Amino acid sequence: MSHDTHHHHKESFITKYIFSQDHKMIARQYLITAIFMGAIGIALSALFRLKLGWPDDKFPILESILGSDAAPDGLLDSNWYLGLVTLHGTIMVFFVLTGGLSGTFSNLLIPLQVGARDMASGLLNMISYWLFFLSSVLMAASLFIETGPAMAGWTVYPPLSVLAEFQPGSGLGMTLWLLSMTVFIASSLLGGINYIVTILNLRTKGMSMTRLPLTIWAFFITAILGVLSFPVLLSAAVLLLMDRSFGTSFYMSDIVTSSGALDATGGSPILYEHLFWFLGHPEVYIILLPALGMTSEIISTCSRKPIFGYRAMIGSMLAIGFLSFIVWGHHMFLTGMNPFLGGVFTFTTLLIAIPSAVKAFNFITTIWKGNVMMTPAMMFCIGAVSTFISGGVTGIILADSALDISQHDTYFVVGHFHIVMGMTAILGMFAGIYHYFPKLFSKMMNIRMGMAHFWITIVCGYGVFLPMHFLGEGGLPRRYYENTNFPMFDHFLDLNILISIFASVGVLAQVIFFFNFFYSVFRGPKASQNPWNANSLEWTTPVEHVHGNWIGEIPTVYRWPYDYSKPGKDKDFVPQNIPLDDNEEEH
Amino acid sequence: MEIKFIIIITVALFFIALVQLMKIYDLAAKVRGEKSQEKLSRSENLLMANLMLVFMAAFFGFIIWLISKYGSNSGLYQAASAHGKDIDDLLMINWYIILPVFFITNALLFGFSWKYYYREERKALYYPHNNKLEAIWTIVPAIALAFIVIYGLMTWNKIMYNQEKGEVVEVYAYQFGWIVRYSGVDNTLGKADYKMVSSSNPLGVITEKTIQDTYIEIDQRVNDIDSILSSNINADGEYLLPEKKVDKLQEEFDRLKRRKYRIEASIDRKDNNSVAYESSNDDIVVQEIHLVKDQPYTFKFRSKDVIHCPWFPHFRAQINAVPGMETSFALTPTITTKEMRANPDVQKHWENINVIHNERKRKIGEPEERVLFDYVLMCNKICGAGHSNMQLKVIVETQQEFNQWIENNGDKKRLTFSGQEVNWSKTKSQASL
Repeated sequence: MSHDTHHHHKESFITKYIFSQDHKMIARQYLITAIFMGAIGIALSALFRLKLGWPDDKFPILESILGSDAAPDGLLDSNWYLGLVTLHGTIMVFFVLTGGLSGTFSNLLIPLQVGARDMASGLLNMISYWLFFLSSVLMAASLFIETGPAMAGWTVYPPLSVLAEFQPGSGLGMTLWLLSMTVFIASSLLGGINYIVTILNLRTKGMSMTRLPLTIWAFFITAILGVLSFPVLLSAAVLLLMDRSFGTSFYMSDIVTSSGALDATGGSPILYEHLFWFLGHPEVYIILLPALGMTSEIISTCSRKPIFGYRAMIGSMLAIGFLSFIVWGHHMFLTGMNPFLGGVFTFTTLLIAIPSAVKAFNFITTIWKGNVMMTPAMMFCIGAVSTFISGGVTGIILADSALDISQHDTYFVVGHFHIVMGMTAILGMFAGIYHYFPKLFSKMMNIRMGMAHFWITIVCGYGVFLPMHFLGEGGLPRRYYENTNFPMFDHFLDLNILISIFASVGVLAQVIFFFNFFYSVFRGPKASQNPWNANSLEWTTPVEHVHGNWIGEIPTVYRWPYDYSKPGKDKDFVPQNIPLDDNEEEH
Repeated sequence: MEIKFIIIITVALFFIALVQLMKIYDLAAKVRGEKSQEKLSRSENLLMANLMLVFMAAFFGFIIWLISKYGSNSGLYQAASAHGKDIDDLLMINWYIILPVFFITNALLFGFSWKYYYREERKALYYPHNNKLEAIWTIVPAIALAFIVIYGLMTWNKIMYNQEKGEVVEVYAYQFGWIVRYSGVDNTLGKADYKMVSSSNPLGVITEKTIQDTYIEIDQRVNDIDSILSSNINADGEYLLPEKKVDKLQEEFDRLKRRKYRIEASIDRKDNNSVAYESSNDDIVVQEIHLVKDQPYTFKFRSKDVIHCPWFPHFRAQINAVPGMETSFALTPTITTKEMRANPDVQKHWENINVIHNERKRKIGEPEERVLFDYVLMCNKICGAGHSNMQLKVIVETQQEFNQWIENNGDKKRLTFSGQEVNWSKTKSQASL
């Protein structure tokens, strides 16, 4: 009722576009912020790949982009190399694939797909976005300070991250990193609570939990993981802040600097690792689940076939979510932890492979005997399933504590997690953008550019990360500024050039997406109401955004969202708001 | 500056050109009467489906090429330690399980995407679930994983619960290098403490002499600071130095005092010194790690400043070195450096490496050199600017060669574990920190 009155209310520019409380606008804000952060994140990777591919060449472009402190005469400084690596990791993991992916699609799809007028709290939602924006600005700003950004790797292990004496980035750069992350965590908690409440309380009539699209299940589990694990990272960050600024020694003990022994005793850096990875591992699934959720939805829609094993998909997501909390130790096999504990973590980690395998097989079976429409979104989903498998199988090796002794922190790890987590999530995110663009901006993206974007991205992605496994098998440690100090790695010189070429082309190809995206936002052809002939509720809303999502009543739901190609129906899709025929079984 | 300007202009022009092209494209599409770009045409759908197959072939081809080029010759060869062989065997078994799964599932994925491309006249199969199928692909992976877990944990336990105590060697990590200390005849490392670390005692080894030396060093510095501060003070009791510098000096002054107090309180126990600190008498600090073939070693690790990770790739051995905590692992080298160099595979590989190595040397204008295979210790945990160059040569040799090495190293003669007393003050100079 109140929505009808709101509806005609004329909004000012500021309340409509900036401090908006409408979930669809907030989703757009998240997406555009994430695209800009993503542009920074992948550009950084292209810059440090130049150094790794051509270790002796000078690149004046580095000096003009990063400044003469970072790259005197076009030769990247070794501290700055680590700074670029650190910020690349932080930005991609947190700002693009957590904030950007969950922020955009949870916000857009939760109210639309469960049938709600808006999020449970529009105000919290708005605050959540603006905190995300603030943290993005703080993180990006750390690239512009003289001593450089945080340089201790995205995991910022103390004591390296505590004292500026150990590396210049642990000064102001690290302070900004911690501030930014603290704000980011606040943002992510506000968002997460909102998602959970909306899904539990604001479902429309008939929308039982087992009629929810799998996207919503994925966002739901993701939000729970975030709400339970991000506070632990917050505590880790606060303790680190205290060690850095207030002379405590939570993470420090027995340390000698050039000015002699420090006073700190009794702390342990291992404590930080435990706290960090208690978030760090669920974080992998905070990134992956939304991508896999959207993949489920898009594969089903574009194959014109119900998702295979709907309940098994939910079950496997729940299992993955639960298990993700008891596997963090596999990042720490070599910290000197009790070997028995190492064995336990090996066991729990390998358990995750079972629900993951179920998901992969269910995706493939959904495509089997389908009628596959090769839209860009569908192609990105096929790519995401492929990377989920390819990266997942090498995870079996890394989960094994005995094998970890010879693989830990080598390029094998870099190759593994970039494929399984980085590529799967980013391909899933692209799939979501192409698929839901009509809902986000009421326009269509250009399909042909989308196709070109997909092929170049998947080819370059695999081209970059597959060879890395072989570098790792050759013992090459990650985060090496140059690999030329050891003659034993010289035979990898050409492979590193190949990787860098793929990386450069892959990064440049994102210009196609960037252009397609912004061109379509302003000049794209107008979308129709249900361009993909999909079943879920978001496609029953008007093309142009309205406050409150539906004009008039919210539709009632009578069936699950996967009635594609149901026998006895004329069309190959039956939207959720169509009542069952007499004698029709639900599914 | 001009170049930047030109680049910006070029990029801007490029985008404008793209926008114009898009407009033309859209107009042309309208003229042809195509209905926007919402729907794929049949031919496009087929093209994309075919490309899926092409991609799959290229993808598999790329992996097979990588495996044939680097798979059997990664550059680490066979493991050169007793436990390393177990790890390599386990890894091989894992690959035999993983690779078929990888190829089959990817082939199904791309194959189905190709085979079932969209045709309007077709209707997809309505196939929402099949409990039997789902049970199969829950149970089959579970069995495979059970095998992997059991085999993996057996190997892990075998390596980690290796009770045999070998010869104790300490590796002390710092930004950016390693110091190695052999424990000597008694096979026990002399006690060390971070509070004792100084330029003359880089490992912080505790002996009665080093305690006294540390006191002298601290007292000297304390006096120095005292005299700097007192000579820079005016009649009103104000310092003539910049405030920051005074603060820094005072802080250092306090810290030195505290350090001395803590040494007195926790280390300098007159009653048990002679017993507890005796074991350092035969310890010796060296520049290279020399190991005797087939002799078990127990490596102990400490770190001076940040977390490092000693990594012996050829021995398949690594563990973190954490400040404030001692870590260790056991390893038994099984192949000498000479034997490794004589291996035809290794020789061929290093011929190739020499070619590449010297090609690069010529390019950057450095003198060419002949590089030989060597075991090496490197750092595998991000530790700062010098992370990528923390290398230490490791030599595995026979007992005779090992003895010879000791003979040739003058003062290190006493490493023959004859029980002779080693003068710590002489050996410590070997460590150039």
